[in-house]
Amino acid sequence: MSVESDAAAQITQLLGGRIGASLLLVEQPQPDTLRFEIDPGAVRAAAKALVQDTPARYLITVGIDERPLDRGFAIVHLFSLDSEHLFLALDCAVDSENTRIDAITPIVPGANWAEREFRDAIGVEPEGHPDPRRLMLPDDWPEGVYPLRRDFRYDYHPPSAGNVRPVLREPPKGSSVIPMGPFFPTLEEPAHWRLFVEGEKIVGCDYRGFYNHRAIEKLGDSAMTYDKLPFLAERICGICGFIHSTCCCQALEKAIGIQAPARARYIRTIMLELERIHSHLLWLGIAAHIVGFETLLMQSWRIREPVMWLTEEISGNRKTYGMNCVGGLRRDIPADLTAKIQEVLLPVERELRAVRQAIVGDTTILARTKGVGVLTRQWAEQIAVVGPPARASGIAIDARVDHPYAAYDEVPARICVQEGSDIWARVVVRMDELEESLRLIRAATAAMPGGPIRTEIAEEIPPGRIGISVVEAPRGEAVHFVMTGGDNRPYRWRVRAPTYPNLQAVPAMVQGETVADVPITVGSLDPCFSCTERVEAVDIRNAKTRVYSREELLRMWQEKSAPGGER
Amino acid sequence: MTPELKGFLLLAAIKVVVGFGGLLLAVALVTWLERRQAGFHQDRLGPNRVGPKGLFQPIADGIKNFIKEELVPADADKFLFLIAPALVFTPALLLFAVIPFAAPLPVSFDFELPVVGRFVHDGVMPMMVADLPVGLLFVLAISSIGVYGIVLAGWASNSKYSFLGGLRSSAQMVSYEVALGLSVISVFILAGDVTLSGIVENQQQKLWYVFPLALGFALFVVSALAETNRLPFDLPEAESELVFGYHTEYSAMKFAMFFLGEYAALITMAALMATLFFGGWDIPFTTWDESEPSLLKTALTFGAFATKTVFFVFMYIWIRWSLPRFRYDQLMALGWKVLLPAALSYLMLLSGAIWALEQLGIEQGPLYGFILCIVNLPAIYALFWVIDSGRLVFGQRLQRRTMN
Repeated sequence: MSVESDAAAQITQLLGGRIGASLLLVEQPQPDTLRFEIDPGAVRAAAKALVQDTPARYLITVGIDERPLDRGFAIVHLFSLDSEHLFLALDCAVDSENTRIDAITPIVPGANWAEREFRDAIGVEPEGHPDPRRLMLPDDWPEGVYPLRRDFRYDYHPPSAGNVRPVLREPPKGSSVIPMGPFFPTLEEPAHWRLFVEGEKIVGCDYRGFYNHRAIEKLGDSAMTYDKLPFLAERICGICGFIHSTCCCQALEKAIGIQAPARARYIRTIMLELERIHSHLLWLGIAAHIVGFETLLMQSWRIREPVMWLTEEISGNRKTYGMNCVGGLRRDIPADLTAKIQEVLLPVERELRAVRQAIVGDTTILARTKGVGVLTRQWAEQIAVVGPPARASGIAIDARVDHPYAAYDEVPARICVQEGSDIWARVVVRMDELEESLRLIRAATAAMPGGPIRTEIAEEIPPGRIGISVVEAPRGEAVHFVMTGGDNRPYRWRVRAPTYPNLQAVPAMVQGETVADVPITVGSLDPCFSCTERVEAVDIRNAKTRVYSREELLRMWQEKSAPGGER
Repeated sequence: MTPELKGFLLLAAIKVVVGFGGLLLAVALVTWLERRQAGFHQDRLGPNRVGPKGLFQPIADGIKNFIKEELVPADADKFLFLIAPALVFTPALLLFAVIPFAAPLPVSFDFELPVVGRFVHDGVMPMMVADLPVGLLFVLAISSIGVYGIVLAGWASNSKYSFLGGLRSSAQMVSYEVALGLSVISVFILAGDVTLSGIVENQQQKLWYVFPLALGFALFVVSALAETNRLPFDLPEAESELVFGYHTEYSAMKFAMFFLGEYAALITMAALMATLFFGGWDIPFTTWDESEPSLLKTALTFGAFATKTVFFVFMYIWIRWSLPRFRYDQLMALGWKVLLPAALSYLMLLSGAIWALEQLGIEQGPLYGFILCIVNLPAIYALFWVIDSGRLVFGQRLQRRTMN
């Protein structure tokens, strides 16, 4: 993908005009990446210039402990300039003694969680952040211990800070609280919404999530080497694992400066689209279950099943294929399976049409979804929502088109956009995307070239290179940022799952709705907490009947999750 | 105590045991039917392991419920918490007492037992537990009591989900009782009788009321769905948002009581539909069943009644597995803004039509029914047009276009 150099020059000129001498360095490590080193004092002005004067869209912020490299702490704000297929990185070096930086959340509301996360992880304080509470660390994590600093060993277990309750907002006067979660029938994973209600009408809400942080990023940049990293990435999510492993591989390939062979890129495209089909069908079932339509749940999961069998034949697994490696693939699709893909998809397509008719013809579904959970285009842009929720609010973004990867430059995808901004629009977008995926798989299998499936990495990977990659997951755009380090390991690896920005839109979506609309509104985002939090569940077995106090449960949990504890 | 009274009491006791025992057995079978039928709707098997075709599954479930742990929340109001399931379960069973489930049976006996003495009965025994003179009014009265159980369950649990579920449920059941009652009034007008045996006899001799009262039947079906808290109107439970609403905190047998109560109410409502609108135990296309009571006739008419009831149970389950859940405010809007005005105007229309027919001197019979049937058609069309809001049937093509 060639970048028009005048776009890069224009942005550089704009930033130079706004922050003057605070713009320390401009470089273009890859054709699609533009990196600005700026003075931390100018970060807010620079972010303002990007989001207000260019169509740049906020992606994520990476906090890197670069003290061993004598740069203090690096705070890298990533933006995407979709029209120019360009990633912009605002890299600020924060002094290691005075760990403060201006928060950009007042200008870019979408940066809310990301700034709280680097505060938790490396201990840089975002100044002027509207909500500087703990985000991802557990409640009993001691203050002043920052897990993503380089001097924090990945297997270190800090002492508990005792019985600390999370800081949760109090309801406004006259309203009461209905808790939704941490465990709730329609949430497949733990998340705690605190709904403030007047009668059944919602007047506000608060969120506490990140209950089971798995520290995958820490593992990735300490314990794992490059050859293991894609397999760890695949385990970020049980549904879109291949998306994360592809994204991780692509980021590393970019950093290294190699490209996977054409056949590997086509196979990645096919697998990614298969994953989208089964993920959307899974979502359709869950959404139907939330509105009490059990038959559609069963039917859509039945339709989904042949797709899983197909991926099992291709990769040996229904999920978590383990096919990706840096530089290409470990496993080819044999010729007879290429024919079988078409065969399997035909009935899927036919049945999808029937399901579509059933949904369109259902007054109740329409009444439950039309005009409910509205996320206006303006809010969606501010929070930097991605994927189907963004497209349902009329924002035509799709990583497959904005930053073409795998074979999407040769088999272009069509962006499915709806203007409704409500849950119904999200349903329609996903139904359209299912058809689009089927078309893409056909096109990709027909055009798939022969040849090798893996590019060998000839020499050792030099440290200090960065690679940014995005992949359009079923839930939206996944972002992986890699900075290479020595010892055959990445120095920093940052994953942003699509649910991360999307969940931040929930308060705006449920405001003024009734309690009954909350599950389907949250469900319409197709939330995936394990991606977002990079999580795992701890199970507590109690053999005898007795009452456990909160303290006892906490203690049990601490004993079990201590290194070497019972699992 | 006279031998006749003793005979009557003996028969009554037998009817109570057989009637309610049969109903409980039917409840167990319906829970099995629901799961099997849901399985077939959803292209899966459903329970098929315990006994032939999984028929003993309800027994296994019952045993499980008996040996499960009974939980009472620490802050619950214990007395109300314990009494609530019984308040739901008992009225659901009681309703069945006034439904005639077969043609009257001739019973004659005269025997003497040691200690208790002589028992005598000679004549026709009505095949219902109690042929109350207030008949259908008893149904309306008792079915309202079920609401108390649900409200108390919600209140006593001391949980927000339960409380909201209980509130929703009381609002829902009170609202739909109005529509239910009004739709039943149309039956009263036509039958001129409130006893269920009288209504059945009337239909048996003349015409099934579903034809002259088609819209009344439609209103009754919808209200009955809401009255029994079945999907698409299962808002009080609302699994997805209220964690099963009023019975969130209930476990084991107390939960099973709610469950049984729900299915008993389901069967009773299905039986009421059969009785009020489909001739009860009447066997269609024959006049043979109007002949003298006999054992054969009782058996066959019971078969007819059971077939009709099972059909409506089947319909209930079918509806449940075909529709998504409404939202609470949509449900209340449907009840107050559509069903209630519809029921009221229908009553006016019907009374007007019947008054006109009487003025014209037309006797109740085929022509009478045919004219009322014609009167119903535009009313049904109008109601569905309103419920549909020009979307489903009338605007589907338009909608498909917007989606594509």
